[in-house]
Amino acid sequence: MLNRLGQYLLVLLVAVTVNFFLPRAMPGSPLQFLAGDEVATLSPEQRQAILQRAGLDQPLLVQFLRYLGQLARGDLGYSYQENRPVRSILLERLPWTLLLTATALLLSSLFGVIVGALAAWRRGGMLDNTTLAGSIALDAVPTFWLGMMLVAIFAVQLQIFPVFGARTAWANYQGWSAVVDVTRHLVLPATTLTIASLSGTYLVMRYAMLAVLGEDYIRTARAKGMAERQVLYKHALRNAILPVFTVFMLNLGTLVGGAAVIETVFSYPGVGRLLFESATNRDYPLLQGAFFLVTLSVLLFNLLADLLYPLVDPRVRGSHG
Amino acid sequence: MLLASPVGVTGLGLLTLMLFLALFGPLIAPYDPTLPSGKPFEQPSSAHLLGTNDVGQDILSELIVGTRVSLLIGFSAAAGAILIGTLVGLVAGYSGGWLDGALMRLVDVMLVLPFIPLMIVVAAYLGPSTGNLIAAIMLVIWARPARVIRSGVLALRGATYVEGARALGASDFHILFRHILPGVLPIAVSQFILVASGSILIEASLSFLGLGDPVRKSWGSILYYAQIRGAFLNGSWPWWVVPPGVMITLAVLGFALTGRALEGYLFPRLRKG
Repeated sequence: MLNRLGQYLLVLLVAVTVNFFLPRAMPGSPLQFLAGDEVATLSPEQRQAILQRAGLDQPLLVQFLRYLGQLARGDLGYSYQENRPVRSILLERLPWTLLLTATALLLSSLFGVIVGALAAWRRGGMLDNTTLAGSIALDAVPTFWLGMMLVAIFAVQLQIFPVFGARTAWANYQGWSAVVDVTRHLVLPATTLTIASLSGTYLVMRYAMLAVLGEDYIRTARAKGMAERQVLYKHALRNAILPVFTVFMLNLGTLVGGAAVIETVFSYPGVGRLLFESATNRDYPLLQGAFFLVTLSVLLFNLLADLLYPLVDPRVRGSHG
Repeated sequence: MLLASPVGVTGLGLLTLMLFLALFGPLIAPYDPTLPSGKPFEQPSSAHLLGTNDVGQDILSELIVGTRVSLLIGFSAAAGAILIGTLVGLVAGYSGGWLDGALMRLVDVMLVLPFIPLMIVVAAYLGPSTGNLIAAIMLVIWARPARVIRSGVLALRGATYVEGARALGASDFHILFRHILPGVLPIAVSQFILVASGSILIEASLSFLGLGDPVRKSWGSILYYAQIRGAFLNGSWPWWVVPPGVMITLAVLGFALTGRALEGYLFPRLRKG
C-alpha cells in the first residue's frame, strides 16, 4: 500500500513539475506564460502582483516550493481572462464531467458484462462471433468521429436531440423540465462514450467468463445436476465479474480527463472541454489548474480502487500490502 | 503464413491500400489540396467528387494527400516508441535490481498519467507542429511495449544458450545485443504494429483538437476544420465528415488486424478464442 502511495505521489510530482517548469522553460516573457494572453491589458499593479506571487526574483527552488505551498492550500491561481479564481471555475465544470462520464461508465459496464457473459456462455455461437468481430471493428473507430456521426444523424437530420451544450441556454427550466432538458443533452455524448468504452469491459468479461467456465467447481455443479441457469447465475457470473470490477475501478480514474475529446465534440461544459478552451485561449493559469485537477482525480480514484479491492476479493487481503 | 487467415489477408490488404495512397497520393489527387480549386462549400460534382471545403479546397484531394500525413505521424511515433520501449525493456529486464525497479516505476508513472490532457498542455506551450505531435505521442506510448519486451527479456535471460554464452565469458553488451535482442525482436515487431494503430488514433484525436500542423492536414485536421467551420450547419457533413472518419477507421483496422494475425503466427500459444 505504501508502495502504491509513493507511486501516486510520484505521478503527482510529474504533473506539478510539468505545470511549473514548462512555462518557465519557454522563451519570451514569463509574465505571458504566468498570466496568459491578457498580459497587455493588465495594469502595472496587477503585473507587479503576478510577479510577486510567482516570486520570479527568487531562486528556482524557492519558487517551486512556494508553488507547492500554494497548491497544498488549494490555491490554484487566478484566471485573468475570466477574472476569477481558477478553483471556482473548475468546481463549476466538475459536476458536468462527472455526470457525463459516470453515466457512460455505468452503462458500458452493465452492457459489457451482460453481452460478454452471454457470448462466453455460448462460445462460438452467433452472438459470440458477431460481438467479437464488432468489438474489434469498434476499437478502430475514432471516438470523436463516432460522436460527430451521432450528431449528424440524431441532432442534425432527425432533430431528436440537441446539437451541443448541457442545458438549453436562456430557457431557465425549473424542476422536472430542467431534469428532462439536462437528460436530453446528455443522451448523445453519454451514448458515444458508452459505445467507446463498451468493448473493453466486454472483452474482459468474456475472457473471465471463459476462464471460470473451465474451472472444476463449474464441472462439479453441473455434475451434481444443477440447472444450467443456476450454474450461470450462482457460480459463473459471480466469479467472472471480479476482473471487470478491476477494469471498472481503473476506468474510474479516467473519469475526469477521459472525456476531453468528446466534451469538445458536443461543447459539453466539463473539465475536459475547459482544458481545450484554456489551451486555445492561452489562459495558462486555467490550463494548469485543469490539468492538476485531472491528474489528482486519476490518483484519487486509483487509490479508492486499491482500498476497495480487498473488500471485493478476499483472496488479495493481506497479500496486497 | 499471414495470408493463411482471413484476418491477415484483410489487414494486409488495407495496409497495402493505405501505403499506396501514402506513397503516390500527391500524384493521384485531382487537385493540390493546399490551394483553392473551386468555390467554398461546393456540393459533390464531377469536378469535385467530395465537394469543396470552407476555402474551396478539394476534399477528395485533402483526403488522399492526408493519408501520407496521418501515416507518417503514426509510423514515426510508433517507431520511436518501440525504439525507446525496446531499449528500456532490454536494460530493465537484463540488469534487474535497482535499475529495473526504477525503470519500471517510470513505466507505471507513464501509464497512470492522463495522456490526452497532458498532450493538450504540452502542445499549448510548444505550439502545433508535426514534430511536436510526433514527440508527444511517442513519449506517452513507449511504456506499454517497454513492459511487454521486458517480460520477454526476463524469459530469455535464464535460457540455456544465454547461460552458455555467459559461461564462455561473453560481455553483457554482447549477450544483450547478439543473443537477447534477436529473441525479443518478434515481440518488438508485433508490438510496433499494434502501437502504430494506436498512434494513428491518437494523432487523429489530437489533430481534431486543433493540435496538428495547419499547413499539412491529416485526416484528423480535416475533421477539425469541418467541425469549426460548420459542416453540420450547412449540411456538408456527408462528404466532409464521413469520409475522413472512414479512412481513419480503415487504416487503424488494417494495422490492428495485421497485428493480430502476426501475433497468432509468431506466438501460437497466445492464440485463444
